[in-house]
Amino acid sequence: MNLFGMLEVSGSALSAERWRAEVVSSNMANAETTRTPQGGPYRRQLVVFRGRPLPRFPMLLASMRQTPEPGVRVDRVVPDASPLPRRYEPGHPDADSSGYVTYPNVNPVMEMTDLLSAVRAYQLNAAAVQAAKNMIQQSLQILS
Amino acid sequence: MTNRMIDTPITEALGRFLDVDVARYKLISTNLANIDTPGYHTRDLDFRAELRRAAAEASGIEPGELQPASFTPVSRTVRGLMERPDGNNVSVERESLALAEAQMKFNLGAQLLKDQFHTIGLAINSGGSTS
Amino acid sequence: MNPISSLRILPAEINSASLAPDSASEPGFRTALDSAIDDIQQLESQAETKVAGVLGGNGADVHSALIAVEKADLSFQLMMQVRNKIVSAYQEISRMQF
Repeated sequence: MNLFGMLEVSGSALSAERWRAEVVSSNMANAETTRTPQGGPYRRQLVVFRGRPLPRFPMLLASMRQTPEPGVRVDRVVPDASPLPRRYEPGHPDADSSGYVTYPNVNPVMEMTDLLSAVRAYQLNAAAVQAAKNMIQQSLQILS
Repeated sequence: MTNRMIDTPITEALGRFLDVDVARYKLISTNLANIDTPGYHTRDLDFRAELRRAAAEASGIEPGELQPASFTPVSRTVRGLMERPDGNNVSVERESLALAEAQMKFNLGAQLLKDQFHTIGLAINSGGSTS
Repeated sequence: MNPISSLRILPAEINSASLAPDSASEPGFRTALDSAIDDIQQLESQAETKVAGVLGGNGADVHSALIAVEKADLSFQLMMQVRNKIVSAYQEISRMQF
């Protein structure tokens, strides 16, 4: 894997972080959605990242030299299993028999923190891309 | 004859320096890509040790022999880093610093190498005429 | 024919003169030139392979390929100078009148 190959690794991280930011946006947009097309309130979603396995990794080399996995991807987008808050609102159209409405388990503060983290990770990987680009360009000056 | 004049110890050493630096960059870049991967641990290499190892590997070759495949560095997990709840211990500060360092070293190495080749070129082409 | 092989074209007089490897003790300019030209062709093909591999993402690193290119180029320049010196030295000698 040379520098050009590493651009793909950074690129995969950029994609994954952007996906993560999009999930945050979706959570925020649906923070008050008490009725989804599937019925029931919206449930917060979160992404799980996973490193991509190396292609054709020789096992002997793996035991001697632990090379890290190149690239990263969003493994799955899973619903947050934490409990859904209920508020007493008897007049609400989605209230149940006891007058409680079940709301999404989206906490705007936590979503913002998540978003900031995704943005920072995105910026870091963009910096890595810049670095690779810079090194490739600097290499050219070796030629007289 | 030609090899010794162009494959000088300096150009060889600078080439190895760039090899190790690029190898380190690859590790840094992979760390950054995995900054949110659960359970991922930061990896790095010992710059000086790898330089020495590359030099040792190179000195074992006779001039004229085939050069070995590209140098494969030994990476190791970095100790002493704080681990977050998801098991990930990549530190933004550490990687950012390392990234800047790697770039500066590369620019330095490339510049020096360029100067070396320029000097060798001058030596080759500036010999006086024989008239 | 590629540029490197054209280095082997020396003026006809040099080939026929005693610069040809007659004696075992003195190989002469011609064989030294030939072996150096072979070296260059090897360097150039190595450089070519490295460069071709660079863009694929899995080949040699850019800097490594460019170093190989530069070394091949310098070797070529060196050979050009050596060849030119051989030719001009011969011409100088042939100009001498006795």
